[in-house]
Amino acid sequence: MAEKSYRDAIREAMIEEMDRDPNVLIMGEDIGVYEGTFRITAGMLKKYGSKRVIDTPIAEAGMAGTAVGMAMLGLRPIVEMMTMNFAIVAADQILNHAAKVRYFSGGQVDVPMVIRGPQGAGVQLSAQHSQTFEAFYGHFPGLAVVAPATPADAKGMLKTAVRGKDPVIFLESAALYGMKGEVPEDPDFTVPFGESRVAREGSDVTIVSYGRMLQLSLVAAEKLSKEEGIEAEVIDLRSIRPLDLVPTYASVARTHRAVVVQEQWKPFGAAAEIAASITEEMFDELDAPVARVTGEDVPMPYARNLELLATPHEPQIIGAVRRVMYRE
Amino acid sequence: MAEVIMPKVGDAMTEGKVVRWYKKAGEAVKKGEPLLEIETDKVNLDVEAEQDGTLAAVTVEAGQTVPVGNVLASVLAPGEKAPPAAKAAAAPKKPEVSEPEKGQQRRRTDKKDSIKHTTGEYQEAIEQQGLRKDRTAAPSANVVALPEGGRRRSSPLARRMARDLGVPLEAVQGSGPQGRVIAKDVQNFRGAAEAQPAAAAPRASRVSAAPLMSTLPALEAKLVPLSAMRRTIAKRLAESTGPIPHFYLTADYDVTNLLSFREQVNAIEGIKTSVNDYIVRAVALALHHHPYVNASWGDDGISLHGEVHIGIAVSTPEGLITPVVRNADQKSIREIGDEVRALAEKARNRKLLPNEYQGSTFTISNLGAWGIEEFTAIINPPNAAILAIGAVESRPVVIERQVAVRERMKITMSCDHRVVDGAAGAEFLKTLRQYLEQPLRLIV
Repeated sequence: MAEKSYRDAIREAMIEEMDRDPNVLIMGEDIGVYEGTFRITAGMLKKYGSKRVIDTPIAEAGMAGTAVGMAMLGLRPIVEMMTMNFAIVAADQILNHAAKVRYFSGGQVDVPMVIRGPQGAGVQLSAQHSQTFEAFYGHFPGLAVVAPATPADAKGMLKTAVRGKDPVIFLESAALYGMKGEVPEDPDFTVPFGESRVAREGSDVTIVSYGRMLQLSLVAAEKLSKEEGIEAEVIDLRSIRPLDLVPTYASVARTHRAVVVQEQWKPFGAAAEIAASITEEMFDELDAPVARVTGEDVPMPYARNLELLATPHEPQIIGAVRRVMYRE
Repeated sequence: MAEVIMPKVGDAMTEGKVVRWYKKAGEAVKKGEPLLEIETDKVNLDVEAEQDGTLAAVTVEAGQTVPVGNVLASVLAPGEKAPPAAKAAAAPKKPEVSEPEKGQQRRRTDKKDSIKHTTGEYQEAIEQQGLRKDRTAAPSANVVALPEGGRRRSSPLARRMARDLGVPLEAVQGSGPQGRVIAKDVQNFRGAAEAQPAAAAPRASRVSAAPLMSTLPALEAKLVPLSAMRRTIAKRLAESTGPIPHFYLTADYDVTNLLSFREQVNAIEGIKTSVNDYIVRAVALALHHHPYVNASWGDDGISLHGEVHIGIAVSTPEGLITPVVRNADQKSIREIGDEVRALAEKARNRKLLPNEYQGSTFTISNLGAWGIEEFTAIINPPNAAILAIGAVESRPVVIERQVAVRERMKITMSCDHRVVDGAAGAEFLKTLRQYLEQPLRLIV
């Protein structure tokens, strides 16, 4: 194991997969000469050349559509979206083509492609460039949607995504790129989709999250333990589709209360799906309504102070935990 | 050569403190490697090397605070020589105007990576906006009021527990929002219903048998996790029988007079006393005659307590606790009774405050209500003794060669032999006999 940043873990996964399989290639805006807006692809053009590290025009629909064609014919393209917000332009290619080809072809044609890039707020990119998309993509069958919260998961899940048969929406967070953590060196280390994990054990309340909010939930859990003697169990969902809630149900059976944390808007968000599932499956175990911690229901402000106020921080999570524990 | 400067982290930052250097001057460094840790008024952050090379000209030592933009050191490229010292300690320069090239811009973006970092800024944003509390926690405006007198609000878990335990939900007081019955309320209700008042000691003949059950409920095998209270009980009692050499004395008291005295007292309107209240009073007075029983062992000596505080063992659903009647020797039977009942109620609701269950000088445990004839209790440290009160029973006894039926009660005293010797314990029980068998002494 070595300590690596989330950014380096992603780069390492791509390099290892490109070394392993000549059909793997990467494409995106400014990923070659400029080495990536967030420096994820630093050094890769030099290493693999312009046939496998393709600088594209500013044309996301073209990038995604090209990748669908490449994947149908046997290549394994990784498309970097500068931020996932730009992929909205390519929604038809992703939702109506990538996600449907295997189904339409009766299972004859796979679409092994990855669309990856950062999403979410925290780095002052304003309303158009700070959005999260897990609920949007999570709605559509035919896609896998993952949101790793640690460098190890970022590497292991990206490798799983590249090696799979289906299109994968790989959601990163710009605010996590610098985060460091232990990452296994084994080139065949992978993390399967649809297996959530217990990130912190506890017996009083269950906090469910993924991606950047998972890290925030862990910070809140430590604070709760230190300041209020409340031991929260924190579940890292890792993937949104397929969604594995079994460890969450097992935890709620012990704690009888759950708080779901997502970064952005409350209406129709991922937290709504998770909270509803907990209520459906674990109704008789609940001693309080499932609480949701979400961002403010406004377009993301540019101003730093307003951006901070529009996204969840520990006080909201701690407040929600206190509410479901009737400590208010 | 690349200068290492005090970065500006957040708009409000004007200066930063060097917490420590990870690298020494002359040491080789790699790009991206942390060089030093800085502290702002909000967070601690690492400053990383911008390029490979050798750390040189460290001008700011750990512990020093310098303005933003101040040069802290430099990193020499491989083969590069250190410039004259005067140049390395150049005047502060603003990071905003320095090297507006690509790498620098990226590093500034990185500064926002840390979650720790945004948390400090968040507090600042809250203060700026004059927001005291978190906005998303505000209750929803679309609360639909339930009709008056409608169905009780209750959590699903509370309903399931009530069903499983056979507790009538409508009888349970809800403590949640809008009177919602939650799991804790069902537990407390069940606990209160089950716990017999440990302080009362009715006659053995009145002890009711376990309720008859027409069908036997299935038994459940399970591991009950240790509560903090159960752990404390285990720890303290093990501490007791371990180091404390116990011995036991049992005496049989005739409480016929005491019971008739109590009957007369209870005939007064508005007064209700239990046998236990008389015992507490009797014990408190008897302790006055025997200071060595109202005492504690210590490595430096035996403390004789200047006051009489009687701990009363009370059972609760979670376990045993001993609320304390302070200065019991200065309180009337009625005052003692009122206080014991209030404390027992609090104990069962887990509402006792530490000063209500700590600081006893002597303890009484009464299992008379359970029909226990006699038993031995374990000393409640740092007390030197404890009394185990058995049930009052009608028994034939010989008085002046005649067999008579009298009300009798057995009391067993457990003593810490380091403090109380056999004869001293026996003397105390003898004094107690005067108070219990001649109850008028309790009030004159």
